[in-house]
Amino acid sequence: MRYQFDFGALLPYWRDFLDGALTTLTMTAFAVVFGLAIGILCAIGRRSASPLLQRLCGFYVELIRNTPYIIQIFFIFFGLSSIGLRLPIFAAAVLTLVVNVGAYTAEIVRAGMDTIHPGQIEAAQALGLSQPQIYWDVILRPALERVYPALTGQFVLMMLASSITSQISAEELTAVANNVQSFSFRAFETYIVVAVLYLALAVLLKLAFYGFGQLIFPRRRRLGTPL
Amino acid sequence: MTSITRRSAFGLAAAGAALALGGRPAFADQLADIRKAGKLRVAVAMGVPLFAFVDANVKPTGSDVETAKLIAKDLGVDFELVEITNAARVPTIQTRKADILVANLAITPERKQAVDFTVPYATLNIVVAGPEQVAIKEYKDLVGKRIAVTRATVNDQMVTQQAKGAEIVRFEDDATLITAVVSGQADIVSTQTAVLSAMNEKRSGAKLVTKFVQQELNLGIALPKGETALKGWLDDWIKAKFASGELNAVFKKFHDRDLPTDLVQRTV
Repeated sequence: MRYQFDFGALLPYWRDFLDGALTTLTMTAFAVVFGLAIGILCAIGRRSASPLLQRLCGFYVELIRNTPYIIQIFFIFFGLSSIGLRLPIFAAAVLTLVVNVGAYTAEIVRAGMDTIHPGQIEAAQALGLSQPQIYWDVILRPALERVYPALTGQFVLMMLASSITSQISAEELTAVANNVQSFSFRAFETYIVVAVLYLALAVLLKLAFYGFGQLIFPRRRRLGTPL
Repeated sequence: MTSITRRSAFGLAAAGAALALGGRPAFADQLADIRKAGKLRVAVAMGVPLFAFVDANVKPTGSDVETAKLIAKDLGVDFELVEITNAARVPTIQTRKADILVANLAITPERKQAVDFTVPYATLNIVVAGPEQVAIKEYKDLVGKRIAVTRATVNDQMVTQQAKGAEIVRFEDDATLITAVVSGQADIVSTQTAVLSAMNEKRSGAKLVTKFVQQELNLGIALPKGETALKGWLDDWIKAKFASGELNAVFKKFHDRDLPTDLVQRTV
């Protein structure tokens, strides 16, 4: 059987593809911001002196990192509505992404914090810096600079994993692909187009993260060397 | 990577591409192929109440599954169930991942361009349903409301085209759609009556009632385009089994209703 490619059949659906790609990007943006916040808080929690906080954050991280994302999605989406909380689909999808990426971010940030030499923290204490000052200037900022590549890599992975939210009817790029192929019957072409779009989104995301990194880490920008 | 492994990886990719593009000669007779292989690969979308589901012993059953088994038996070959999702129904036949498809697929002009259909072997009614107190009489009443459908179904298509302005949420299969309604993520649905009764069975709150009937759909067995011998055999088989009452018996066993008497004369 020879396959006749017909990409023209997909032209009427270009708006759907665009909407889907934008939804994927928006979901990713929300998930990056909130996921990073949760990750940092959780990393601090795991390093704190309180055993309760340590265990709580540890439990969350282990639970999320050792269960499949699709199970987490169904659990959150159907679980929430079973107890009467009916979120808009988009919010529910972003929530599952945040919960998921937060756990991975926490471990990456924690690894970065662990690389800060205790001597530096002791030096900061000797200089009379307050605890928040120490956390912000001596631990968090250098730590984030060190793990920045790993962190952004994780966010790109998360953008790709957001395709799974099509299962709970989020109208992102993969869901659009499934719709388009079911109306146009050009499955092969549809998934080629969507694969190229995901590739473009990933490259775009990487460039954006690179630019952002240059902006917020002046030391790296000026010296061009890793910390 | 050494140059040898790189070369073999490239060779593998080339072989894969050749396989994908030049798989089989253009005028193969699938009916003869099936007989030669000694087995019939039937694609069925599982998780559809009454049509295709797993029973208490986790064995696939339902009117589609039993009909498919009957076909294999009368062809004198083994039966192989190919479980697929709803959205994969047409592509599965286009790419010949299965010989035929018995998956409550409605015969539509759009689908006819992609695959061939037999004469109708069954019917289903698709309806819009919702809670008693919600006033819905036609498509335009759905505007501004959240309505749940299963992706790549005729319901999906009809609601998408006729209820512009409604928030349409699409789930991959009927099983997920049912879970969404049972858990309360959605309470207005467009689906077939069999699925609706399964929802109401599992739902703890108020039952969903039928708001309006969208259409009665004629279901056909789908097969790759141009397989005239296979299509002829299947058409004759459906007509014979319908006349003998066997087809109706299988259907009635699960659906508790008779097939329309003019079923096989219907042209879609």
